[in-house]
Amino acid sequence: MSTISLQDKHHDNHDDHGHDHHKETFITKYIFSQDHKMIAKQFLITGIIMAVIAMLLSILFRLQLAWPDKNFPILETFLGKWAEGGRIKPDFYLALVTIHGTIMVFFVLTAGLSGTFSNLLIPLQLGARDMASPFLNMLSYWFFFTACVIMMGSFFIQTGPASAGWTVYPPLSALPKAIDGSGLGMTMWLASMVLFVASSLMGGINYVSTVLNMRTKGMDLWKMPLTIWAFFLTAILGILSFPVLVAGVVLLIFDRSVGTSFYLSDIVLGTEILPNEGGSPILWQHLFWFLGHPEVYIVIMPALGISSEIISVNSRKPIFGYHAMVYSLIGITTLSFIVWGHHMFVTGMNPLLGGVFMITTLIIAVPSAVKTFNYLATLWRGNIRFTPAMLFAIGLVSFFISGGLTGIFLGNAALDINLHDTYFVVAHFHLVMGSAAIFGMLAGVYHWFPKMFGRLMNEKLGYLHFWITFICAYLVFFPLHFLGLDGVPRRYYAFTEFEFMNKWLTVNVFVTWAAIIAALAQVAFLFNFFHSIFKGKKSTQNPWEANTLEWTTPVERLHGNWPGEIPTVYRWPYDYSKPGAEHDFIPQTVPYSQTMSSNLPHDFEGNTEAEEIQKEWDAKNKPSTETAE
Amino acid sequence: MDNILQQQDLKFDAKPKKFVVWLFVVSSTIMFGGFTSYYIVFAASKGKGHGLVLPDAFMYSTAILLGSSIFLFLATKALRRGNRKSQQLFLWVTLALAVVFGYLQLQAWSSLFQSGATLINNNAAISVIYVVSGMHLLHIIGGLFFIMSSLLGSYKGISEEKAIYRQEITSIFWHFIDILWIYLYVFLLLNS
Repeated sequence: MSTISLQDKHHDNHDDHGHDHHKETFITKYIFSQDHKMIAKQFLITGIIMAVIAMLLSILFRLQLAWPDKNFPILETFLGKWAEGGRIKPDFYLALVTIHGTIMVFFVLTAGLSGTFSNLLIPLQLGARDMASPFLNMLSYWFFFTACVIMMGSFFIQTGPASAGWTVYPPLSALPKAIDGSGLGMTMWLASMVLFVASSLMGGINYVSTVLNMRTKGMDLWKMPLTIWAFFLTAILGILSFPVLVAGVVLLIFDRSVGTSFYLSDIVLGTEILPNEGGSPILWQHLFWFLGHPEVYIVIMPALGISSEIISVNSRKPIFGYHAMVYSLIGITTLSFIVWGHHMFVTGMNPLLGGVFMITTLIIAVPSAVKTFNYLATLWRGNIRFTPAMLFAIGLVSFFISGGLTGIFLGNAALDINLHDTYFVVAHFHLVMGSAAIFGMLAGVYHWFPKMFGRLMNEKLGYLHFWITFICAYLVFFPLHFLGLDGVPRRYYAFTEFEFMNKWLTVNVFVTWAAIIAALAQVAFLFNFFHSIFKGKKSTQNPWEANTLEWTTPVERLHGNWPGEIPTVYRWPYDYSKPGAEHDFIPQTVPYSQTMSSNLPHDFEGNTEAEEIQKEWDAKNKPSTETAE
Repeated sequence: MDNILQQQDLKFDAKPKKFVVWLFVVSSTIMFGGFTSYYIVFAASKGKGHGLVLPDAFMYSTAILLGSSIFLFLATKALRRGNRKSQQLFLWVTLALAVVFGYLQLQAWSSLFQSGATLINNNAAISVIYVVSGMHLLHIIGGLFFIMSSLLGSYKGISEEKAIYRQEITSIFWHFIDILWIYLYVFLLLNS
C-alpha cells in the first residue's frame, strides 16, 4: 500500500546534494526508506487507505440499520455468504462494527495521525536532520503495515474477522468456540494488535528521544510549536499505556490458546461446562481501559496540536495562552491515567470508587475547556484566512465542544448507568474523538501537503470536501444522541425486534443517507490528494507565511532537511501581526536584532544587556511613543 | 546545554539512541507493572495468592543473573581501559551465565509443574508465575542479542566510540532485566 509512489517529478535533483553519502535506490528511497519525511508519507497513505476501508465498513452496517428488512443483492456479489440473499448476517454485522472501530481508533487515528505528523514535523519543526533512530522508525512503519495486512487478512478466512467489539471483552473473545468471530479472526486481531503496539512503541520512543535530544540551537522547550508539545506528550502517553495493553493481550492469548483462567470462570458453552475457574473478565477491562482511555487522548491530542498551529497561522495572531495550552496538554496527559474507571461504571464497581473516577473525569473538562477557549480567543478579531486547513481546524473546535459537552453527562456515574452502551455513547465519542480527530488530521493534510509533496491541493475541492463532511458529520452523529437517551443500545443487529425502538427506524434511514453523502464527499478529497501529488500547483517555500522551521527547508525535500547548516532559533513560533513589525509574521529564525521596531520588553526574558540596547534604539527611533506614555 | 547540537550530521551521536533504550526500559517496566497489578487485584479479590513455596531453582537463577551483571560490568570497565581481549572474555562469561539462567528457569518451571502447580490452573495467580517468568525470559533472549552485537563489534574492531555505545546499551538493557527479575522474584515471594 505504501508504495503508491510519491514520485513527483521535481524530486529528482535531490540525489546530488551533500548529505547523501550513499546512493539511493528505488527500494531504499520509497520502500525501506529511513527518511522521516518518506516514512511520514507512507504512514499517511496507508492511513488514508485504512480510513477508506473502515468508512466503507461503516456504510455497510449503516445499510443494515436503516433498511433491516430490505435485500441488496449487490452485497451478496461482494460479500458472498456473509450477505446471503443480499442481507448482512448478524455475525458479519458484529465483525463490521468491530473492525470499523479497531481500524479507525488504532490504524487511522493513532498510526495514521501520529505516525504521519510526528514523523513529518518533529525533525522539521525542531531543526533536526532526522529521528533519533531512523532505522527503528522504518521498522515502526513496517510493523504497522504488517499489522494492517493481518487485520485485513481476517476478512479472507472462513470464520471471518474478530467480532467481539473493538474492546474485545472476554469471555466472548477468550472462547474460540463462542462465535465464529472468536476463532481464527480473533487470533489474527490479537496478532495484529501486538505488531501494532510494537510499531507504536517504536514510533513513540523515537519521538520522545528526538524531542528531548535533537532540538536545534536556541530551540528550548518553551520555543517549541504546540504541535510538537502535543506529539511529545502523545508519545509519552503511548509509552506509558500501550505496554499495559500488551500485558492484557498476553494473558488473553494464554486464555484462548493455552487454557489458563485469567479472565474466565464459571462458563457454560452450549451444553458444555468449561473447566476454567477463578478468573475475572473485569480484570481485562481494567487492563484494557488503562490503555483505552489514554488512547482516546493519544487520538485527540495530536489533532489539537495541529489545529493550534493552523488556527494561529491562519488567524495571523499569536496563539492565545501558549503556556496555558501546554499546561492543559500536560494536565490532560496526567489526568488521562486516572480516569479509566469511567468506562466501567456498570461493572459492579464500588460506588465510592465510581465517585473517584467520576471526579477525575470531570476535572479533565477543565484543561479541555482551557484549550477550547484559547482557540476561540485566538480566532477572536484575527485576520482570518479561511484556507481549507483552517476550516477543518475550526471544525475540530466545533466537534470538540459539541462532543465534549456530552462527555460531562457520561462522566457522571449516575447518568452513565442509564446511558451506558447506548447510542448516546456512540454519538459522544464519534463527535469528540472521531470527527474532531479526523478533522484535525485532514487540517494537517491540507496544511502540510506542500511540505510533503511540494505542491498545493486544490482549494475549491477542499471547500467542497469540508462543507459536505462537516454538515454530514453532524447530521450523522447528532440524532444518535436521541436514540441513546431513549435507550437504544449500540451494537444491536435487529433493533426493530423491540417494539419501542421501531420509531427510530426513520431516523436511522436519515442518518444512513447522511453517512452515504459524507462518504461520497471523501471522493473529492481522495481525488484532490492523489491528483495534487502529481499535478497540483507548485508550492512556494512558505505558502502560508508561517513562522515555524519546516518552512525554511527547501521545497525539494532533501534527506537531511536543510542543505547547509541547521538554522538557529531565536524566538517563539507565534510572532504573528506583531505591532511595529514589517510583515505580519516573523519566522523563528529571525533574531531580535533584526526586528528592533517590534521588540517588546518581555521578549528578552530578563536579559538586561539586550533590554538596554533596545531602550537606546527606542529612544533614538521612536521618541514620540515614549513621550506619549 | 545538551540541546545545543549543530554539527551532529557528520559525527555519530550516541545520546539520542541511548535514550531510546532507556525509554524501552520504561515501557517494558510498565508492561510488567501490568502483569503484577493483575496479580495484586486478582489476589485481593480472591483473598489468595499463588500459595506456593517457590522452587529453589529461582533462587539459584537469581544469583546467576546477578553474577552475569557483574561480569558485564567488568567487560565495560575493560573496554574503557581499552582492553578488548578481556572485554571479550567477560562478555563470553556473561553470555554463558545468561544461558545457565535460562536453563535454571526451565528447571524451575519443571519443578513447579511436577509439584502440581501447572500453567493451566484454576488459580490464575499460579499461571502468572509462568507468564511473568516467560516474558522475562523473552527479554533475556533479547538481551543475548545485545551482548552478541557488542561481542561482534569487539571482534570486528569497530571504532571506540561505537564500541562503547554498543557496550553501554547492552549494559542498560542487561542490568535492567537483572533488576526486573529481582523485582519479579521478590514480588512473587512477598505475595504468596
